[in-house]
Amino acid sequence: MNETVLEIRSVSHFFRKGLTKNCVLHDVNLKVKEGQFVGLVGPSGCGKSVLFRGIVGTHPPKEGEILIFSGQENEVAQKKTKPDRNVGIVYQRYSLFPFLTAVENVAIGLMLDQTSIPSRLFRPLGWRKLRKRHLQEATAMLEKVKLKDHLYKYPAEMSGGMCQRVAIAQAIILKPRILLLDEPFGALDEATRTELQDMLLTLYAENVKAKQKNERPPYTVLMVTHELTEAIRVGDRVVGLSPFWNWKRDFQEFPGSTVVYDKPAPVFLPKQPVDFQAIEEQKDEITRATFDPNYTKNHEEFIHLWDKVSKG
Amino acid sequence: MVLSFSVLLGGYTYLAREQHKINPLDKTIPTWSQLGQGVVKIVVLDHRSGKRWIVEDSAESGKRLFLGFFWGILGAILIGLLIGCFQLLEAAFAPPLAILAKLPPTAALALFFVMLGTGTGMYVGIIVVGLLPALAQSIYLSIKAIPTELINKALTLGASRTELVWNIIIRYIFPNILDSIRLQIGPALVYLIAAEYACAQIGFGYRIRLQARLVNMDVVYPYLALLILFGFFMDWLLKKAQAKWCAWYVKKEN
Repeated sequence: MNETVLEIRSVSHFFRKGLTKNCVLHDVNLKVKEGQFVGLVGPSGCGKSVLFRGIVGTHPPKEGEILIFSGQENEVAQKKTKPDRNVGIVYQRYSLFPFLTAVENVAIGLMLDQTSIPSRLFRPLGWRKLRKRHLQEATAMLEKVKLKDHLYKYPAEMSGGMCQRVAIAQAIILKPRILLLDEPFGALDEATRTELQDMLLTLYAENVKAKQKNERPPYTVLMVTHELTEAIRVGDRVVGLSPFWNWKRDFQEFPGSTVVYDKPAPVFLPKQPVDFQAIEEQKDEITRATFDPNYTKNHEEFIHLWDKVSKG
Repeated sequence: MVLSFSVLLGGYTYLAREQHKINPLDKTIPTWSQLGQGVVKIVVLDHRSGKRWIVEDSAESGKRLFLGFFWGILGAILIGLLIGCFQLLEAAFAPPLAILAKLPPTAALALFFVMLGTGTGMYVGIIVVGLLPALAQSIYLSIKAIPTELINKALTLGASRTELVWNIIIRYIFPNILDSIRLQIGPALVYLIAAEYACAQIGFGYRIRLQARLVNMDVVYPYLALLILFGFFMDWLLKKAQAKWCAWYVKKEN
């Protein structure tokens, strides 16, 4: 059984503006396994969003490839060139369709994925039956994210935290191979953010249970965040992308950011005590390795999980 | 609202009375009783044609306006959607549409006259050409204003290209379409009345021109009031449609 969900192979990306070449990413390599919760951090402008868009498929990289594996034996990986249902996504804003209620927002993925316009038009009875089932599934999913009393509210009638809960439910109901979270809680207050982090950790707990039963973990998450504590607390692995690495050794001009940090992170499930000391220590380490412009050497010591990172 | 209308009506009554003190035969600011006589003229059988003005004018102007609105809105939605959703069509049609939107249809009346004759087609044509470019541009801009994240989101949920247009884009911009149509009611009436004023033998514009020449303002004012009422009714109807079909938008706006 192939456990890899996402593989980023030697991805480099740049933008051209006239004769100027603006390098963003250089030789980025990353492998995400089934059930992992990965926090992706890095300084502003380091290319996190570019990498993110590459994984979604809206902006494929100029060099290298991004592969999504379905998890079957001997499969040919799917190269990401366009968005599809294998990669779920939750944005900081605009994740919900404003014209649909919470329950409809969650059910729309099932409709788009399982039916087509002709099938809905020409088989109305079958569609009605299916629609009922979709709404039941969506209701159950919203109950799971503790929103059963807000099923029929429009996004404009819900708080930011509630909207993000619906957005997560909307994405995971389709069971995508990987769920991408693009600074999902960035616009929320501290208390709501902690609440939603706990919600993600309950999903992680489901992974743990599935592994204990020798089943495939249902959720794999890659979360882009500015909050280091969030990345460490929610992720079981933290990856740092940074422009501050030893590129002057081999290049005359800046070739782009690369992975400079990749280590496991402690996971504290909602009812477990949090080791703040461990979080603070890892935060210091990430800050030094990823955010410090003066620290450009010996990044190898921060990379434990991926054995082929070439230049960091 | 009641207060502003009371002030308006009170002001008119005062003006009419003052004017009639100066000239008891004045027809430019008719008194309420003169207006009543004008209304009677409009609704009773005309001894020459054997028809009621209000009925034949409403039927003819209504038909022209309905057809103009129908084809103008239909064309605008189709063109707006196509150029908003498909880059190739955007490149081909957006620039000529922008140019056409600058053409005042009333200035090109002679052109419509030559190309479409003097039948219903001419009036419909002038409304369509007046409405379509502005409405299509408004729809096109509404589509362009949809956040990219929302489009990507739909694609990651498994939407096909057609579903993206049908289930996401149209639903998202539908309230904006209704708003744009509301804004086009006034201009559409202007195009129709201007064309009827210049060329018609029947219709609101024709009747207003004829009666204005005779300074029969007791007939002209009720006709203008009817036009205002019609505009309000259409606006109310579209607002009701928006409240019924786009509850999310109304709640968001509130």
